[in-house]
Amino acid sequence: MLEPALRVRGLKKQYPGVLAVAGVDLDVARGEVFGLLGPNGAGKTTTLEIIEGLTEADAGAIEVLGLDWKRHGTEIRSRIGVQLQSTSLFNKITPREALTLYGGYYPKSRTADELLELVQLKDKADAYHITLSGGQMQRLALAMALVNDPELVFLDEPTTGLDPQARRSLWEVVRRIKAEGRTVILTTHYMDEAEALCDRLAIMDHGRVLTTGTPAELIAQLAIPSVVELSFEGAAPAVDGFDARIGAAVEVRGDLWEIPTPDPKSLLPRLLEAAEAAAIPYQQVHVRRATLEDVFLHKTGRSLRD
Amino acid sequence: MLLWRQFLMEWKLYARDRAAMFWTFAFPVLMLLGFGLIFKGGDTPKLSVVWVQPAQAQAKDEALLKALAQFPTRLLPMSPAEAEARWSRGETAVQVEPTAEGFRMKVNSYLVAQGQMTAQVVQQAFLVSQSQLRGQPMPTLIPVSMESPGHAKSANYAAFLLPGLLGMNLMSMGLFAVGMVNVSYREKGKFRRLAVTPLPKWIFLLGQVLHRLTVTLIQTVFLLLIGRFVFGIVNEGSYLLLTLVMVLGTACFMAMGFALSSFAETSETYAAISNLLFFPMMFLSGVYFTLDAAPKWLQQAVIVLPLSPFLKALRAVFNDGDGLAGHAVGLVVVAVWAALCFGLAVKRFRWA
Repeated sequence: MLEPALRVRGLKKQYPGVLAVAGVDLDVARGEVFGLLGPNGAGKTTTLEIIEGLTEADAGAIEVLGLDWKRHGTEIRSRIGVQLQSTSLFNKITPREALTLYGGYYPKSRTADELLELVQLKDKADAYHITLSGGQMQRLALAMALVNDPELVFLDEPTTGLDPQARRSLWEVVRRIKAEGRTVILTTHYMDEAEALCDRLAIMDHGRVLTTGTPAELIAQLAIPSVVELSFEGAAPAVDGFDARIGAAVEVRGDLWEIPTPDPKSLLPRLLEAAEAAAIPYQQVHVRRATLEDVFLHKTGRSLRD
Repeated sequence: MLLWRQFLMEWKLYARDRAAMFWTFAFPVLMLLGFGLIFKGGDTPKLSVVWVQPAQAQAKDEALLKALAQFPTRLLPMSPAEAEARWSRGETAVQVEPTAEGFRMKVNSYLVAQGQMTAQVVQQAFLVSQSQLRGQPMPTLIPVSMESPGHAKSANYAAFLLPGLLGMNLMSMGLFAVGMVNVSYREKGKFRRLAVTPLPKWIFLLGQVLHRLTVTLIQTVFLLLIGRFVFGIVNEGSYLLLTLVMVLGTACFMAMGFALSSFAETSETYAAISNLLFFPMMFLSGVYFTLDAAPKWLQQAVIVLPLSPFLKALRAVFNDGDGLAGHAVGLVVVAVWAALCFGLAVKRFRWA
């Protein structure tokens, strides 16, 4: 039986004026895609950088692939692959050169051609990296994280700042990495990305893990599989006793009223009738199933985007 | 093997940054051309004397001018108004003004070395002219010559300057170029990507030192070639010893730059602390003035700084064609600095 990919207990990191990581426990099994989901400033990147050996923790125990940083630092480094949140390379290096150069730092490495094929960057293989687009740069960073044929791959916000098409193509690469049998740990503040990619998730806020599970489990925990949304032109009005009329909680978020419900079919007729009677000036009605966004909202009272 | 690849990649990336490379090589060459042209003129620099033209030149005036012409002086005749203007701008070292009876001479206290020398020459010319006027036999004069102590083979200032320029270039490359580049790379996060690989720090650092070492050696070759073919300055000593001293010096100042860069978080801080080190080393090295007047402890402290022993050894080889026999202690000082700084640099080096 192989050791787990990652085991973290009681991780803490204090920065001047802010407790960035406030006691984090994580377990990641081999072969899974594990996500750290949370808003900016939740402590995801700090947690990841401590695990990657870039930052030293104030307290806590970490085992990476069953190994300890203090005694096996070099071995851990040669068996993990890391994509930093922003990868800054020397100005005039080409993707092919960067992959060959970095591959040379490891005991075993994959060829530049193979990796460029994997991340679909063959046509830019010999261009200076400063001429790459954001999406191409992220794919190069991903290829660099795979250069040593790693067992465990860390991706820090791999799709932040990318357009939808570039994001989809990056997701495709992440799925291929998983299909190759590697373990992936990624951070993201996009709930659709977490749902699309992750086998299991830890939702983080204020340096703590709020809850852990598969996306389906986390949503099921809510016991409110659906959400009915009324949209308004401009800011939504105050609820003002309307929740009592329909016998369900109403949450005001931006230009929406959100009404979580286990049974939208029976709620809808009551809701529309009451809205008509109270002359609520809504524009549209929308029924959707609950998402990780709702889980986060439920746990913190805030939206991921706030 | 890894070190070799790192070294090659450093060169490859460096060679692509054409502008930076151009200036690295052009700057010391331009310095040499500039200084060389200023100081090229013969063995002894001419001493300038401002001559205030009298309304009516007398015989004594003519006699002095004639006598002055036999000395290595450059006479600048001008009207009283022009002379006054030049004097108040501080450009005149010595000014001679004929009066009804004799002459009046003013010496600029700010240009004291050149002024005293010139004043001596004017005094001697005056004695010569007086003897001529009176038809007396020529007075016996003390011959005065300008020489560079300990460098008999290259009295030419440009020849004396060249090793100094090589040393200065090394120190500024090490402290400013190398250290600054490292700090700014760290600031921009370019080292973080390396930090997550198993690449040992010392290989990365040594690769950089070797790269800069070869850059400096190429610069040196340029300077020597220009010195040789433009100014006729020849290396009097062995090229093997010259290379040895240069390599040691380069290693020392590069390592110093690396070590220093580990003490600064930002480029701004680095600029401040590198200047803090650069200028004392430059002034206390004994290159610009002797430290006879400085307190004893300072004179002793200065002996352990690397620039002065390095330049002494370099000049011994380059200007005098000597061996390094008398410079063992000095070279050990340089080598110890190099080793200590490299050790410190590896120990303190942070990727992020």
